[in-house]
Order: sequence, then structure tokens, then C-alpha cells
Amino acid sequence: MEIQTPSLPSDRVALPNQGIWRRLPTLGMAIGVVGLLLTGLLGKGHPADALHSYLVAFLFFLSLGLGGLFFVVIQFLVRAGWSVTIRRLAEHVMATLPLFALLFIPIALGIHEIYHWTHADAVAHDPILQHKAPYLDAGLFHLRAIVYFVIWSAIGLYYWRTSRRQDEIGEASITRRLQNLSPLAIILYGLSQTLAAFDWLMSLDPHWFSTIFGVYFFAGSVVGILAVLILLALSLQRAGALHELVTWEHYHDLGKLLFGFTVFWAYIAFSQFMLIWYANIPEETEFFAARWNTGWKSTSIALALGHFVLPFFVLLLRDVKRQRLGLMVVSIWLLAMHYLDLYWLVMPNLHHDGPALALADVTSLIGVGGLFLAVLTRLMAKGALVPMKDPRLAESLLFENA
Amino acid sequence: MAEAQSTLEVSEPVDLDPIERRPDLIEGNPSFHDITEAVARPLEWKAPLGWYLFLAFSLSLLGLLGVSLAWLIWEGTGIWGNNVPVAWGWPIVNFVFWVGIGHAGTLISAVLFLFRQRWRTSINRTAEAMTLFAVACALIFPAIHTGRPWLDYWMFPVPNQMSLWPQFRSPLMWDIFAVNIYGTVSLIFWYLGLIPDLATMRDRSTTVLKQRIYGLFSLGWRGSHRQWLHYERAYLLLAGLATPLVLSVHSVVSFDFATSQLPGWHTTIFPPYFVAGAIFSGLAMVITLMVICRVVFKMEHIVNMLHFDRMAKLILATGTIVGYAYATEFFVAWYSGNIYEFFAFKNRALGPFAWAYWTMITCNVVIPQVFWFKKARRSIAVLFVVSIFVNIGMWFERFVIVVTSLHRDFMPSSWDYFTPTFWDIATFLGSFGLFFTLFTLFVRFVPMVAIAEVKGVLPQAHVHHHNPIVHGSQGGRGQ
Repeated sequence: MEIQTPSLPSDRVALPNQGIWRRLPTLGMAIGVVGLLLTGLLGKGHPADALHSYLVAFLFFLSLGLGGLFFVVIQFLVRAGWSVTIRRLAEHVMATLPLFALLFIPIALGIHEIYHWTHADAVAHDPILQHKAPYLDAGLFHLRAIVYFVIWSAIGLYYWRTSRRQDEIGEASITRRLQNLSPLAIILYGLSQTLAAFDWLMSLDPHWFSTIFGVYFFAGSVVGILAVLILLALSLQRAGALHELVTWEHYHDLGKLLFGFTVFWAYIAFSQFMLIWYANIPEETEFFAARWNTGWKSTSIALALGHFVLPFFVLLLRDVKRQRLGLMVVSIWLLAMHYLDLYWLVMPNLHHDGPALALADVTSLIGVGGLFLAVLTRLMAKGALVPMKDPRLAESLLFENA
Repeated sequence: MAEAQSTLEVSEPVDLDPIERRPDLIEGNPSFHDITEAVARPLEWKAPLGWYLFLAFSLSLLGLLGVSLAWLIWEGTGIWGNNVPVAWGWPIVNFVFWVGIGHAGTLISAVLFLFRQRWRTSINRTAEAMTLFAVACALIFPAIHTGRPWLDYWMFPVPNQMSLWPQFRSPLMWDIFAVNIYGTVSLIFWYLGLIPDLATMRDRSTTVLKQRIYGLFSLGWRGSHRQWLHYERAYLLLAGLATPLVLSVHSVVSFDFATSQLPGWHTTIFPPYFVAGAIFSGLAMVITLMVICRVVFKMEHIVNMLHFDRMAKLILATGTIVGYAYATEFFVAWYSGNIYEFFAFKNRALGPFAWAYWTMITCNVVIPQVFWFKKARRSIAVLFVVSIFVNIGMWFERFVIVVTSLHRDFMPSSWDYFTPTFWDIATFLGSFGLFFTLFTLFVRFVPMVAIAEVKGVLPQAHVHHHNPIVHGSQGGRGQ
């Protein structure tokens, strides 16, 4: 069945010619390669330092891709109408996921520098690690990583391709197919994302464990993608694209979701912290002891205030969610906090005494970020920025917050 | 973006979803007046014989509760099966069970309101009433679990002659506050939504007594624009306040267990896992009740298969989250390398209470899978049976958590099997007596569907109704 959708002016749905949007694919690639090379050089003497920095940057951008996957799939799962005009942006972010399979290679190669449980001599004297060996095994670790990337790339590329195909042929059946696949996609995503968080983050401290950890990583990544969607839409509109396609109504709803997931992140973080603090069992408290009884205390406080308290009060205001400056500042702020969150999860395993900012933190962020932006804008340059023939496009264009 | 003049030409019939042809929320294209008549009928007609029979049945169960509690107070907690090592038996199981049931009401009334799910209007009143009655049932257990209800005031920070102060470091104290706040906010929210409908009942009253009583509770509602403006604002604000309560209450309930150091109780996923389970069980109870009520009170067109279909999907979603939590717990119990933790879980699955564990898994994870099929989601028989199974499964979940973690604790010499006594069972059944009595009275004396809200989702509630080419109207259709 072909569907009638409003025709959108082509200049509004294409990547803008002005600004740096068209140059980003090459520029980002160049910056990214330089950043990664510099990180590699910095890691020559101290591979562990550079690899930890790289892991943070890798997880930061990967979490945006995963957040994008969640955002897209959940829209199809609940048959959302309001979000159609911003969904494509999330689809592009999600379609960068295969890039991270490539970017995982340094971690796969440097596993010995990052993960203590790969040290055979350490395992030999540690009954707990021996017990975990059937799971924390280098071969299985790599195999699982391959499975995760296959799942994410398959879902990401399939949804991206199929949604874009609808732009051309306008079949409503495409929407129906993506809706029908969404429950399976979200279950696969939930399981793989949880185990990936266990593998890549929780096992940094192989003795520590927390059942909520997968949800914690999930909550942060959704905060990340919502901030990215707001920033992408705002900056594309500044360059002239998406004019009247993404309205203040959409921003308002994105802002509400950003508020909601900021609170959800705090709820999960608090649950994890409070229960471990209260029961006070040494095998669990070591995680927070490493982040409180050390120079990391101020970072921990900054995270609680910056990732929750401050944005909570700011995002509570209706006006902030409906104006450019407010949304921009709070989105950039929350993205920075999301980075800090991952930094706070990873780095205390390397620098036990307190944060030690390194050049590799910056170069790896630029490196991974450059490649991420290059691939993202290359994807965005192909075809429309809005699902032109989505059957619910009109609903989204006319959508108003009640 | 915020231009005065739109340059986009959008003219689409948006009140029909192009994919699903979003169906009418209310079947049979009734008029406003038809809705009022349909909802007011059970309150104005002579009650059917079945209503009296069910009330008698409920009251006899309530009597059983009264006898059980009287005997408890006379004799003490020794009448229950609670004993070392299972010092926490059925009372806390029942408490968590009932608090959980309540959550669906708040989800439907507050969370779905914020998410603009307009189908909620047909079921929110009943679901919220269910919440209140479930909270009432839940509160019995903290009040009586010591067997000395005359000391309940110790739970509140009341200045007293002994200078005793509640132990605020105890999660059991947090429970008292969490559940009481929850009950209070739910009551206010429910009552606020009732005001316009109570005024309707007042205006339709045929006797002075009814008119006075409905008139008193409708607080002088006249339905003016100004009143509606205040009403809508208050409703939105209360929905915003009630939404975090959906998460907080059962999270605090989960703290009762998770702050301890007991294997099987202490695990960080408990708060969100309990919340998902609570919504899961509550939705099942809503289905159980609505399946019957809609037939008895002839509201099949207002509470129709569309509503059941969506509640069944929510059951599937929350059931999947619960299944995820079961799996994560089990995996991390092994992964932790803590032999006591892993023992607790092996003991659940293979120990003396394996029958309870597998009952829980079957009812909560396996059986709801039928809701993947649309036919099952739209079959009254399947819905009813599955909802009962989910209720059973969620009761067993709490039983498994409480009893299996306790009956084999750190000291094997004190290991024991737990058996409930007659009075355990009688008290639990009796709590259903309270629930059903309140519910039976509710359907007779309070409009069980939000009349004003349902009218708002009828197609004719929207000015552009007759024009299929609409600008900006969301129409009166689904979602």
C-alpha cells in the first residue's frame, strides 16, 4: 500500500551546504585519524594509560550509538507518531554502530593492559578469578564482543536501510515490518547491552559485581542520545535544514524525556550505591571505596551534583525545554556528565589515588569522536534527514504538546 | 521554527493512523449522553442479585479476616508459621503482594497520562480504586505483624512519654512513609478525577439523600471553564507527582530485603525489578477485575478488546523485564564467586522449595508468553486465565524471595522447612475479603469509569470532527 504523505521541500531534508556539515566527513576522518595516531604514540611508553583513556572515549561514543538504537526501536515498538521527524537522526547515529566493531580492535589487542583477569599469574593465586574463568576468558570475551557487534550492526543497519528505503518506495508495509521486528530487537539489545557492560566495564574490577550494572549503563546511554538528538537538530536547523520539521513541540518532548532519563539514571545510580553502602559487604563496597576514600571523592560528588541535581532543577523549567540556548547548554552539559560518568567508572581502576588527566584522554576523545562524526555525517549526506514517506509523518508535523 | 506563518502545506487526515487505522477507543459511536447513562446505570438501578451475593461472599471473607486478627491479637504471632529460621513468613509476603497490586493503578492513571495514552480513560478510575484498596490491604500487615497493634503509633514520629523515636535507619520505617505517601497521593489523585463525575451523579440524583451526599463530595463543582482550567492543571501536576511514586514505593519495599546481607535478598537490581514486577501483577489484577465488571455492568463498549490488548502488551513487557531480572540475579550469583549467594539460588531452583520457584517461573515468565499472539490478547478466556496465573506467580515470587532465603541460612543446624498455619491462610484470604468488599461497594456507589475523561476521547469532543482534512487536531482516536 502506498501512502500519501506531505511533500517536504528537498532543501529542508538534505544535509545543509553551509557550515561545516559537508566538510565533516573528510574533516572528521582526518581529525579522527590524527587523534588515534597521537593516542597510539602516547601509548608507546605506557600502553595501559592510553588504552584506558581510549576505552572511555570508545564507550562514550558507542553508548550514543546504542542509545540511538534504543530510541529508534522503542519508537517502532510503541508506534509513536510524534517522534517521526527526529527519528531519522537517531537512525543515523545508530547506523554508526559497525564502526565500533573496528574501533574495538585496540581494546581486543590491548586486553592484557586493561583487564586484570587476563593475567594468568594473577588468576593462579586468586580462587575467585579461577571460579570466574569460564566467563572471564579472553577467547570468550572476544567471541562475545563479535556477537554483540553482529547483533548491534544487524539491527542498526537493517532499521537504517529499511527506513530509508521507505523514502523511495513509500510502502506502509515497511513500517509494519519494522514494528513487528521491534520486540525481538529490543530484547536482543537489552541482553547484549547488559553483557557488554559486564564485560567491558564491570570486569575492569573482576572481583566486583552488581546486578543492576547493565541498567546503569543503559540509563546513561539514553541520557546521552537524547542530548545528542537535541544538539543535532538544533545545529542542523541553525544551518537551515529541518526548518519547521522539528518544532518546539518536539524539542519540548525531547527535553521531557531528557529530564525523565536523568532522573532514571539517578534512581539507578542511587539504588546501586545505597544498597551497597547499607549492606557494607567488603567485596561490594570496594567499588565505592575506590571512588570515595581516595582522590576520586570530588569526582564522585561532582557526578552526583552534575549528572542529577543541577540538570534536575534546570530541566524542570518548562522554558528551558522550549528555547535554543537553554536546551543547548543543558544538552552539552549532560553529554559532558555522561563522559564523566564513564571516566569515573573506568579510570579509578588505573589511577587509584585520584583523577590524573592525561593528554591521551583528549586525543582518544578527538580520535574516536572524529571518526564517529565523519561516519555520522557521511550517513546523513545520503538521502533525507527525515523519514519522508513515513505514514505518521503528518501526525509528527502537526504534533502539539497538550 | 517559531514563525507566525507556516510555510509547510500539511493537510492529512491525522485522526486515523495510516498503519493501524487506529480504532475508536469507545465502540458503537455513543453520544456523550450515552456514556453518562452507561456509567451511571449501576449506581441508579436496583443492584442485581449477583452483586448482593458477591457482597455477601466478600463480607464473609472479611469476617474471616476479623476473626483471624482477633485471634492474633488475643493469642499473639505464635498462631502463624513464622519461626526461626523463617522469622518473616506470610505477613510480609502478603504485604509486598498487595502493595505491588496497587502499582498498575498509578501507572495507568499517572504514567500513561504523561505519555498521552488516551486509551487509559476507560480503565483508570477502576485501576486507581484498585490501587487504594490494595494499599489498604497491604497496610493491614505492618499494622498487625507484631501482634500488638496498639503499639502501632511507635511507627510514627510522635512525641511520647518514653522519648522513643522511630528507627529511621530501618527500611521498614521507610516503608511506612513510602506506602502512606503513596496511599495519600493516590487518594487525592483519584478523588480529584472523581469530582466532575460526582457532580454528574449529584445532578442526576432522584433522592435528597443521594443529592446531598454526592453534592457534598463534588465540592460545589459547576463545570465552568475556570473550574476546568484549575482541574486540568491540578490533574497534570498530580500526575507528575504520582509518577515518581510508581518507582519509589516498590523500590523502598525492595529495600526491606536488599539492604540486608542475606544471600538472595541483597542484590542491587532489586529496586527496578520490584517495580516492574509490581506493575506486572497490578495489570493482571486490573484485567481480572475488568473482565468481570464490564460484563456485569454492561460496559463492553467502553472497556473493549483494545484496552485488554494494550494491557496484555504491558504485561508482556513488564513480564519480560521480570524475566531479565531473574536471569541477571542467577547469573551474577554465580559470577560473584560468592558461594553463599550461589547456594541461595541453587537452593531456590533445586532445594525443598523448588516447587514454589518453578511455579513462579511458570506463571511469571512462561505463561505470559501467550500474549505474543494477538488472538490471545483479545480472548477474554485467555486474558482471564493468564491474569490469574500472573497473580499467583507474583504471590509466589515474594514467597520464594522471603522463605527460600531464610529457611536455609548460614547455620545448617537451624535449617528447617516452612509450613504455613491455618491462620496464615485465613489472614491472607481475609485480606481478599477486605479488597473485594471495598471493590464491590465502589462499583455500586462511585462511577467506575471516568465519565468526563471518556467523553474527551470521543470523536465528537473535537471541533474538527466532521472535517476529515484537519489541521492540528489529534482527533478522538487511539493513542
